[in-house]
Amino acid sequence: MPKKKAKSRQRIEKKTEGTISRRSVLKIGAAAGAATVLAPNIIKSGKAFGAAFTDPPPPLVQCTAAVRSPVHTPFVDDLPVPFPAIDHPLSPPPQEVANTGAGEWPRANHQRWAQFTPAHVTTELEARPGLHRFHSDFGDSYIWGFNGVYPGPMILNRYGKPTIVRFRNSTPPNGDNTFGHPEITIHLHNGHHGSESDGFAGDFFPSGRWKDNLYPNCYAGLDQFGGNGDSREKMGTFWYHDHRAEKTLNNNVMGLNGMFIVYDPTDPGHEHPSAGSLRLPGYYGVTDFPLILTEKRFCALDAQGRNEMVNAAGGDKWIVNGAIQPNLKVRNRKYRFRILSTGPTTAQWDLKLIGPNGTSASETMTVVATDANFLEHPVPVDDGANAANSNAVVGATIVTPGAIRVNVAERYDVIIDFSKYAVGSFLYLGDFGAGRSQNVNDTGSGNTNPPGLPPGLNIGNVIMRFEVLNKETWFPADTPDIPTTLCTMPDPIVPDTTFEWNFNRDPAGSVPRLFRINNRVFDANVPQHCIIKGTSEEWFIDNNDQVGTNWAHPVHIHFEEFRIIERWAIVNGVFQQVPVPILYQGRKDVTKVEPGEAARIRMRFRDYTGKYLIHCHNMGHEDAFMMVAWHIVPDAAAKAVCDSLIVKANEEFEAKLRGEEV
Amino acid sequence: MDRRSMLSRVFKPHPYSPGVAKFTNAVLRTQDNKEVRFYDDLIKGKQCVINMMYAECHGACPLVTTVLKRTYRDLKDRMGKDLFFYSISVKPQDDTPAALKHYAKMRNADLPGWYFLTGDAYDIETIRFRLFNMGHPGIDLDFAMHSGTFRIINDATNYWGHAGAFASQKNIMDRIAWADPYKSPAEWDVYARNLKAAIDKDVKKYGYRRDV
Repeated sequence: MPKKKAKSRQRIEKKTEGTISRRSVLKIGAAAGAATVLAPNIIKSGKAFGAAFTDPPPPLVQCTAAVRSPVHTPFVDDLPVPFPAIDHPLSPPPQEVANTGAGEWPRANHQRWAQFTPAHVTTELEARPGLHRFHSDFGDSYIWGFNGVYPGPMILNRYGKPTIVRFRNSTPPNGDNTFGHPEITIHLHNGHHGSESDGFAGDFFPSGRWKDNLYPNCYAGLDQFGGNGDSREKMGTFWYHDHRAEKTLNNNVMGLNGMFIVYDPTDPGHEHPSAGSLRLPGYYGVTDFPLILTEKRFCALDAQGRNEMVNAAGGDKWIVNGAIQPNLKVRNRKYRFRILSTGPTTAQWDLKLIGPNGTSASETMTVVATDANFLEHPVPVDDGANAANSNAVVGATIVTPGAIRVNVAERYDVIIDFSKYAVGSFLYLGDFGAGRSQNVNDTGSGNTNPPGLPPGLNIGNVIMRFEVLNKETWFPADTPDIPTTLCTMPDPIVPDTTFEWNFNRDPAGSVPRLFRINNRVFDANVPQHCIIKGTSEEWFIDNNDQVGTNWAHPVHIHFEEFRIIERWAIVNGVFQQVPVPILYQGRKDVTKVEPGEAARIRMRFRDYTGKYLIHCHNMGHEDAFMMVAWHIVPDAAAKAVCDSLIVKANEEFEAKLRGEEV
Repeated sequence: MDRRSMLSRVFKPHPYSPGVAKFTNAVLRTQDNKEVRFYDDLIKGKQCVINMMYAECHGACPLVTTVLKRTYRDLKDRMGKDLFFYSISVKPQDDTPAALKHYAKMRNADLPGWYFLTGDAYDIETIRFRLFNMGHPGIDLDFAMHSGTFRIINDATNYWGHAGAFASQKNIMDRIAWADPYKSPAEWDVYARNLKAAIDKDVKKYGYRRDV
């Protein structure tokens, strides 16, 4: 926007301050600078008719100044539901060998190409700039999203139908005056696939290039079980996100993530009584909703009529599927919600459902899956009889009884039965972790409890609202009771060997004092552990940071799901074994270790070779080094060579500490 | 290309670099007792690697200086042109320019494009906080905390990165390269060709993509 217009805009704001609502200011802004304010909408509608896409104008400045985000009116917006990605043929068609001539970024050949191709499904997700309005009281915000939207399109897949997703990087090559970095590598969390499709943090590619990720949608255990693997290894709720080394936080705050669901006969994506179906609420966007949580901060309305996102790890607005405190109209029947925390950093959501009377004593959320994996038996969580099922645990103490704690990158699939509530009543999903209500748009920021909020509930704790409607005759009938058994666990893992991972920040007296794993920073070229394909291991994941340092680490391991065998913590000054909360007893791919805590996990490494990662999923921590690579190698000979890499790197490390020039 | 246009190309800051507001424009002195302004002369539009040290340090600082010297050797062609090293004293009251000159000379580190910097203690504390703070008082108040870290900044692309001094040398080179100016499509073509050749070689040798 020309300076003159910006100035006149400021004048308008000044003049109208205190006498006019924000919404009408926005309208005046649109009139004053119609060209720039309206252009994005025209572009959007043009795109719908197949016109060439033009990037929206970049932010005027990198917005960093906001102390508090602007106020908003709660519950006026509907919960957005990410639009499913549409399958379509790719041109040029995908191939086993990277098609570098046509712009594909170099990679190793797709593993198991012959087995999983011709792929049944292909689609393309293009990372590019877009505008997204997080609240109807706000102007647009400039984002980077897959296909220009946030959250990214929902990918709905099916076991047995492999998919190739072509990730195209159309972010502006100069970063477009944002805090994003225009190099990306996309990880499907937590897919079982080749390293070349895993979005390894060092394998990022620049703007103008693309890369095909082959997601076989197979169960782990292909070699062992044949066919499409061990169906007990089924997973459901995945998510995909940028994993660029050093810039994962920035690019995820910009908006580069989305959800990815894979159906199978037990969980088929519909509610009909088909063979093997658990008949959980299952129509996507009708009775089965993602709840993608994050927190953001926004700058004041600018001269471009926009509320830009602040480049900040934390936030003072809680976002669900890209909306601030939205409302979801539900019918009086059972619903499934796939809750995902995209962080980005320290956010942990201690979720409770609050009923119309302001309590959550019988407002039960029944957890059916943790990190994409069905629990053997459903686990009800509420503030009454089921308060002890909470996984908001530090040491041996439940810190938020009756809550489901969602750490960064974790997923919890819950069933809520709205049939017991009167039509017209409201329920609230909130975060009741200690200190969390201070964070958001509570009374301190000018927002007050809206009328009708149940007594005792602070708007600052509320993430979203459910509005119970009467189920129309055309609406799908309620599903049967939740089955008491949801799955059969895979055979117990018998480890071939053990290994220890130490996560720490600052052991006294050490140099350098960084976020490290096993004393090492992230090195794209050097593994810290080598594993022979087809073996199993027991890992001790230890957070060596002292109690009280607040350096908690939600540790994520790529590739296969693990089982938590033991938890350890310092209780009364003694490092001792503590119970594993019932919600951590299923299959997992993230385990949070609080300072001084540890987890013993068991995991298999089957079917593929290559580089994979273990890292803290606090995106600030992983960008600040807390990530290391481990390799799956084809055989014992390759392991010996791989191990020699570690020895060589250790020698270099030691030599550097001796002051030698290496 | 004349010198003036080359300079304007190389040292053009990113339009939304936080600039003086973040970096400060504190007046510092080099080991040659030359006055420099932190943002205008050292950061603006440049790519640089920054560490905190002091001359009398017998712990990590000399080790880190050795690592930087090794890194300097590999990047010699760029040093002083579009890439700079800044070693900033956290004990400026002791480290006069002469003391830093002595330190640099003793370690054969008195090299073009590598500045050892001292100045007002308050200014340097501010710079240390702005560049290295982790938002944790226990860490941020301890000036020894970041002795093993390099801050890697490219003001032309507004890139903030970092490296661990004791990581593999290749890792340090990678991380400096991750902060390089944006490449042109033609430069990416060359990069991609080399990468492809390296991957092919790797897979042939080890059975999987390992070293690149």
